[in-house]
Amino acid sequence: MSSETKPEEKEEKVGVYICYCGGNISDHVDVEAVRDRVEKIPGVAVARTNMFMCSDPGQELIMEDLRDGIVDRVVVASCAPSLHEMTFRSAISRAGENPYIYEHANIREQVSWVHHGEQATDKATLLVSAATAKAVRLKPLEPIRVNAMSHATIIGGGIAGMRAAVDLADRGIEVALIEKSPFLGGQLALLDKLAPTREKASELVSHLASRVINHASIKVHSCTTVEHFEGYVGNFKVGIKKHPLESNAYKEKMKMLNPVHKSAEAFIPFAGVYSGPVPSAAEELVIDTGVIILATGIKSYTPYQGEYGYGEFPEVITLSDLIRNLAENNNGGSLLEINGRKIKSMAMIHCVGSRQIPGIHPEDASGHLNEYCSRTCCSALLNASNVIRETYPKTRVYEFYRDIRTYGRGQEELYEQASKNRVVFIRFESQEAPEVSKNGYSDEFPLLIKAKDILTFGEEVEVPVDLVVLATGVEPNEISKIVDMMKLPVGPDRFLLEVHPKLRPVELPVSGIFLAGTCQAPMDAGEACSGASGAAVKAAALLSRGYVELDPFVADVDIQKCNGTGACVEACLSDGALELVEMEIDGQKVQRAKVTPAFCLGCGACVAVCPENAIDVNGWTLKQYEAMVNAIVAE
Amino acid sequence: MTLIHHDFADQMDRFGGNTALECFNCGTCAAICPLIYEHFPRKMIRYLQLGAKDRILENAKELWRCLHCGLCSRTCPREADPGEVILGLKRYVVANWRKS
Ligand SMILES: Cc1cc2nc3c(=O)[nH]c(=O)nc-3n(C[C@H](O)[C@H](O)[C@H](O)COP(=O)(O)OP(=O)(O)OC[C@H]3O[C@@H](n4cnc5c(N)ncnc54)[C@H](O)[C@@H]3O)c2cc1C
Ligand code: SF4
Ligand code: SF4
Ligand code: SF4
Repeated sequence: MSSETKPEEKEEKVGVYICYCGGNISDHVDVEAVRDRVEKIPGVAVARTNMFMCSDPGQELIMEDLRDGIVDRVVVASCAPSLHEMTFRSAISRAGENPYIYEHANIREQVSWVHHGEQATDKATLLVSAATAKAVRLKPLEPIRVNAMSHATIIGGGIAGMRAAVDLADRGIEVALIEKSPFLGGQLALLDKLAPTREKASELVSHLASRVINHASIKVHSCTTVEHFEGYVGNFKVGIKKHPLESNAYKEKMKMLNPVHKSAEAFIPFAGVYSGPVPSAAEELVIDTGVIILATGIKSYTPYQGEYGYGEFPEVITLSDLIRNLAENNNGGSLLEINGRKIKSMAMIHCVGSRQIPGIHPEDASGHLNEYCSRTCCSALLNASNVIRETYPKTRVYEFYRDIRTYGRGQEELYEQASKNRVVFIRFESQEAPEVSKNGYSDEFPLLIKAKDILTFGEEVEVPVDLVVLATGVEPNEISKIVDMMKLPVGPDRFLLEVHPKLRPVELPVSGIFLAGTCQAPMDAGEACSGASGAAVKAAALLSRGYVELDPFVADVDIQKCNGTGACVEACLSDGALELVEMEIDGQKVQRAKVTPAFCLGCGACVAVCPENAIDVNGWTLKQYEAMVNAIVAE
Repeated sequence: MTLIHHDFADQMDRFGGNTALECFNCGTCAAICPLIYEHFPRKMIRYLQLGAKDRILENAKELWRCLHCGLCSRTCPREADPGEVILGLKRYVVANWRKS
């Protein structure tokens, strides 16, 4: 670091801009009094106020002073920096100055919203004085620029992973698609006629998978898992491992591969698209990559033993089982047949393993409750009911539900259609769930469902049935190893957590890592593809410049002061950010600390331990802190 | 306890006005009905939906309260035509009165 510019050497000209926030601040802080007081602080060239500093005229005030050379440091006193720090930095850039000559004083959340009267005005003055003292010592900084590889790694080969892969590859970016199974297609490959359009899942999966397999810029790594991870945005290293069949869990599905299917691109019903030979021996590889997209998806919830008779009565099956049976059945009669039994009457039970309520539903073995709605089961169930009623008109269908959540385009129509198809709806309260038991009345129907029906004024109804289908919801796939390696945030629902649900919906807080599809939340296939295309665009935009810029708030070593004790290296929390290197100073070989800015977190752990005060964090130096504290305690 | 008879809804077809399964149980008909009587006519429509024919026969007299003013059919947000369903149920009850 070049030696600290001393305020005495050159007169810095600080401009202070104080915001009324339309009354949000000025109702409690006497903004004009603050202005009068800070104007007198040495180093302050001008102090101005405005109703809304973030408005165009407000920003123009600042830009004009910069362009006129009246000020060369800027302090804005307004709301929290998370809201508008970027706004004001960018105004400074637009005025042709370095955006890092900026300091922010929060006099709304930290003052006007919590203090009143004289005290509020006094505290605002103190905070602005401290910011001004720091601003005097600010120096222009340059963002850290690192090269970014034009390569993306996508983890998960379901519909979302494939969509993102094709979008990125079409944009000219090399893609590695990592799939743990031997098949592409994920959950969608286990479905048939999709809600709400009855499109065939096999066609969607085949279409995308063949584009993936034949794309010159996409390399599919099937039977592969992620084992190692290091690096930073633009320059990640992903260590992967390919597993031979003996050690992977897909033996059963591989049996479905007959010799005809053994070529890539063949869609195998209820398995997916076979994407090429399974490795004969374990193999480890390292992929150098610029960005990572997680698309690890979901699995279907497995009911516990005895949940609505599951595992006790063979006539109780899951929605996934039903979908498969419907697809594989072609008996053609007027009654649905399942496992050779004619189904005259059947019940569908909604919300199994979803929307669980503490105190009502039991936690699973690892202590989890799925409190979320799985979002696809209502529509998938209604879709199946319609298919059944239209194909097998003699099979009666009863739907037991808590709420019908057919939220998307074309989905409410499924409910209407079900009414037209004479599906009977019975509504229950979560605490009074239907009971499935052996039918004691007659042998004609093996099971009886008892429910307290809200729609019949709370009367108890009994429905004799041949089959019970549980609308099992979804759970995120187990990816704790990846979560730990990449330090990703996970919500209480166990799905991955985006930075912001509306403003940054496909980004994870680790720069350069994105999410696509149902690893984020339950979604239908269309929504999973929207998310995936969004992530692909974000990733492509990030890589398009060939480099990425990181904030310059990182540690910086003063080589003149450093004597190589290495205390900083030991204190550093981020692997690879700090090391001792050998160098020659005045003809002597010495050890000195060296920072790799891209890895530095800017936390300052090193600053605290250096006995020589030889290391500092740019933009937050010790001298700057001292000046702020002095300004606060000075009276 | 109400036991459900699977084929009841289809049996109703020949008595006309069998649109009961279009009903989504909003209760608008019961609110507009000038009789203001125990969820009438929705309750009857619900029993038809379920195939609770015992309940309908037990409560058959209620059907004859209906004035056939048509207000319910006019306000029903679905195409359930509750007034017509009541008429259909009357025909069913007349045909089955003695048997029960
Ligand atoms: C019973 C049921 C019925 C449904 N019905 C419909 C419907 O009718 N219409 C509709 O639109 N949607 C429906 N859905 C939802 C649909 O299945 C999902 O929207 C879709 O599958 C999401 O795709 P995805 O790529 O996000 O995840 P997934 O399909 O789950 O794909 C994830 C992929 O990632 C792989 N993977 C996971 N972990 C790793 C790892 N660590 N390393 C490498 N690879 C990994 C998996 O093997 C899998 O191939 C239904 C879901 C269920 C469960
Ligand atoms: S989509 Fe429907 S069945 Fe599924 S959890 Fe939500 S409300 Fe329940
Ligand atoms: S037609 Fe009958 S049921 Fe309908 S509103 Fe009139 S009286 Fe009531
Ligand atoms: S108004 Fe129509 S939909 Fe509503 S309860 Fe009456 S019959 Fe049913």
